[in-house]
Amino acid sequence: MSAPSLTPSKTASARHAQPPPDGPPPPGGSFARSLKRNLTAHGFLIGAVLCFAFFSWYPMVREFLLAFQKTDQGEVSWVGLDNLRTVFNDPAFWQAWRNTLLFTVLALVLGFAVPFAVALVINELRHGKGYLRLLVYLPVMLPPVAAVLLFKYLYDPGYGLLNELLGSVGLPEQQWLQDPDLSMLSVVIASTWMNMGGAALIYLAALQGIPGELYEAAELDGAGLFRKIWHVTIPQTRLILSLLLLMQIIATMQVFVEPFLLTGGAGPEGSTTTVVYLIYQYAFNFNNYGAAAALGLLLLVLLAGFSAAYVKLNRAENE
Amino acid sequence: MRSARFRRTRRAGAITLVSALTLTALAACGTSSSDDGGGSEGGSGSSDPAAPLDPKTKVTITIDCMPPAAKAAELKEWKEDVAAFNKKYPNVTIDGRSTPGQCLEPPRFTAMLKAKSQPDVFYTYFTDLPQVLDNDGAEDITAYVNDRTVPALADIDPNVLGQLKHENKLYGLPTSNYTMGLLINRKLFEKAGLDPDNPPRTWDEVRTAAKKISDLGDGIAGFGEYSAGNTGGWHFTAQMYSVGGDVVDASGKKAAFNDELGKQVAENLHAMRWEDGSMGKTQLLKWGDLQKQIATDKLGMFLAAPDDITYMVQQLGAHYENFGMGPMPGAENTLAGGNSYMIKKGISPDKIKAAVAWLAFQNLTVGEGQFNWERKKRDDLPVGLPQPNFWLNESKKKDDAARVQHATMPVENFKTFMDNPVPGKAEPPKAQEVYKVLDNVMSGILTNEDADIDKLLDTAEQQVDQVLATQ
Amino acid sequence: MSTRTLISPAQLARPRGKRLYWLTFGLVVTVFTVVFLGPMYWMVSSGFKDTQEAVATPPTLVPESFQPDNYTQAWNVMDLAGLLGNTLYYAFGALAFQLVLDVAAAYSLSKLRPVFGKAILGMMLATLMIPATVLVVPQYLTVLDVPVFERNLLNTPWAIWLPSVTNAFNIFLLKRFFDSIPRELLDAASMDGASPMRTLWSIVLPISRPILGVVSIFAIVGVWKDFLWPMLTLPDPARQTLNVGIYSLSNGVPVNVLIAALTMASLPTLIIFLIFQRNIMSGLTAGGLKG
Repeated sequence: MSAPSLTPSKTASARHAQPPPDGPPPPGGSFARSLKRNLTAHGFLIGAVLCFAFFSWYPMVREFLLAFQKTDQGEVSWVGLDNLRTVFNDPAFWQAWRNTLLFTVLALVLGFAVPFAVALVINELRHGKGYLRLLVYLPVMLPPVAAVLLFKYLYDPGYGLLNELLGSVGLPEQQWLQDPDLSMLSVVIASTWMNMGGAALIYLAALQGIPGELYEAAELDGAGLFRKIWHVTIPQTRLILSLLLLMQIIATMQVFVEPFLLTGGAGPEGSTTTVVYLIYQYAFNFNNYGAAAALGLLLLVLLAGFSAAYVKLNRAENE
Repeated sequence: MRSARFRRTRRAGAITLVSALTLTALAACGTSSSDDGGGSEGGSGSSDPAAPLDPKTKVTITIDCMPPAAKAAELKEWKEDVAAFNKKYPNVTIDGRSTPGQCLEPPRFTAMLKAKSQPDVFYTYFTDLPQVLDNDGAEDITAYVNDRTVPALADIDPNVLGQLKHENKLYGLPTSNYTMGLLINRKLFEKAGLDPDNPPRTWDEVRTAAKKISDLGDGIAGFGEYSAGNTGGWHFTAQMYSVGGDVVDASGKKAAFNDELGKQVAENLHAMRWEDGSMGKTQLLKWGDLQKQIATDKLGMFLAAPDDITYMVQQLGAHYENFGMGPMPGAENTLAGGNSYMIKKGISPDKIKAAVAWLAFQNLTVGEGQFNWERKKRDDLPVGLPQPNFWLNESKKKDDAARVQHATMPVENFKTFMDNPVPGKAEPPKAQEVYKVLDNVMSGILTNEDADIDKLLDTAEQQVDQVLATQ
Repeated sequence: MSTRTLISPAQLARPRGKRLYWLTFGLVVTVFTVVFLGPMYWMVSSGFKDTQEAVATPPTLVPESFQPDNYTQAWNVMDLAGLLGNTLYYAFGALAFQLVLDVAAAYSLSKLRPVFGKAILGMMLATLMIPATVLVVPQYLTVLDVPVFERNLLNTPWAIWLPSVTNAFNIFLLKRFFDSIPRELLDAASMDGASPMRTLWSIVLPISRPILGVVSIFAIVGVWKDFLWPMLTLPDPARQTLNVGIYSLSNGVPVNVLIAALTMASLPTLIIFLIFQRNIMSGLTAGGLKG
């Protein structure tokens, strides 16, 4: 139900991890003892396994089935590829994918680059680090709905603060969420503000792990600021960067709350209709679970690739 | 500590604990679909559904949309009504549930139906009937409703009751009805040099007036429209009706808004928004937003039902004197809707009888319950609004007179609305789904200066056809 | 503070470097303060404005009206206490379920290693590959009518608690940690005749405190921040979470009251964060990545 949260999976002590001995555990002895041991072990497992069975594995199977079924007042019938056809024929289909892609790209430019830059800057400062870290992380602690509604208030073209600020420095007022060309960017800005704290802190920790000698060596080679970033900082944090990049792609392709609350989901001229919103709309507005599942399946196939890469990287990182 | 006995129990305990936890977790969780006909003990009532409730019957009925604590005066009246009702039926317990804020929100309502977690007596919009029936949620109460159980039945507008019928079976009792009109802010009308007693009657007049009002500046909009949360589509439908158009054709299978009238409506809105700049900058509004604007004198007019005024006065701190109403511009048709209570399928006959008795008493008796205008005036609640009003004949005469007698607001502000009734037209089939699609037309027009109206209507037509096709 | 970073200390020590540093420092602190505290100031201050001023064009930076009544009104009308209570109830319930069931599962998979253990772990981890939002629809249909038990969990806390256990990520974290506990320690215990339960309780759990802390934060934050799932599964307004409740009531109150409500809804976590910021941030980062 909840997506993997923004912290990679390495724990302080995981570094002492020794690969667990493969194969059967210590001498079991008789069959009876092995049975008992297994019973105990499964007894510990059963609770979680049942939860997984009911609320994760079964729904996974059901997702596949639903995509090829039609439910009509409790009557289930197989309809082959009809649902996929419905989905493809929906005028909103390609728009939703374009929007999702746009959101992902914008979210990467902002949500990926900005926290890294922020971390770099904070790491260079010799004072006030604690204060700055605190500031960056503060929005993460707000209930998401509160943060989003606050941004809706800030964005309002009439009484919103943002236009007032733009006006005071001589820039033209914007329609923000109401402008089909600007609505997605506005959503991304709000989303970045709310969520960047986690990523920034992780980068900061990674930056602090870069050995100082590397910079000294680069300086001896006459490297300037940007060459140092390019040749030392980025390679040194490569793994973390790519992990978070993948995680961001996976998370942003599933964005829902921000557009749902800021623009009602669809947005001006459907400009913030994302794939996930379309799924939601099929299922919960139009009662068409088949179409929702079919579209979900398409999203799943696409994201499975990213997810696989993430899991692989995560392993590499933990090895 | 290390005794074998202790160890064994602990381990066995652990296994049982862990597995039992999940099992009980799954098994013990309260279900919301238990249709126990409980509470009908002592039900000495007649088995004839047409007979009124036997006063000796002991039942409890749960009912939603009781006024929340924030609406103190209404809650007080509800309690008084329950007390009065209990004089006649001392053994009926009315177990009211309240919701802070908007009592019925479509998504929540749908979820409630699916969960079958509606109370015995539940509040609905007229448009909800199909989905209630799809979910097998409401009892057919035809046999229970007659002039013995609902004395004023003959004087209830059959058009209103008709909206609660399906295949000639009755599924609910109305609590209110509305037809839309043009709600205006009298203060802004005066400021802009317009006559507040004479609201615009055609869309051209609306446009001219809106321009004048928005010329006042200060972030004031002349005319406002919704474009989100299904309410954009709702109002697009209302505008289509007003010019004699429709959104779904007579067969109920095809969209009917992609025509000259649809274009006319869209182009008029587009011109007001972009050529005149009279519709304000903030868009993507939904129900509640325009009310906030007009209550704070930021909006000149919008399409609304009269009971919006109550909402604005009670929740948003506005003043009655500040508002007036004219009939629906265009005046071909006006969207008519309303609210009702339905009764949960499967509850006991005695409970149904008790529910009908309560609804008849509180909502369908002239001079009592919601039509007790004298008491409303005492409690500083609004009296004098033209709606809800589903009475005919004698009941109407009596009720209208009482409204005027106890009016707490200037009734003449609604005179043009009252004097120029526009024929009501019910909402389309699959209303909420159709509205959802039409939201996009509204938001397109209102947020994009270069909106391609033909394309917006084409796309919406395609989507609505699809919605109507999946039954 | 002596760790060497991007810019060399020598460069900074020069007068020009010093000036540049302080300039940058001032700029960064100002920009960050405006960007991150600005909106919060706006939230708190607008909550004190009267209805007219809250929607005034242009907006006023410093409130000209003072109406603290907004806060009491928001508290009462939106029943924030009830929403807050619900959210805590769901969050700590989910925490309890995860701590009991997921810890037991991870322990079993790591140390007791039953047959099919690897397959089960694999299947659990496989759920990480499925985007959560895709699963929402079939999960919702499941909760509507749980197979075998034929229960409808809508409007019950179980709809939050039970699915929260299927947190493969937390199981994975826990298992990795348990893997790192030296075998000898446990062997010694079982030599002493301790049952697996006893070993878990008195040996494994005490040394696992850091990871339990991290997992607990994830569990609570997960429920605290979730929106779509509770919106779907808890339609009854009396049982809604803070997020969903505020959303569904946001339309029915004047703007200034809504903003006041947002402020109050934000306070609990902000306060907790400010008090425990060191623990929370170090738990999430130091415990996070530095390999």
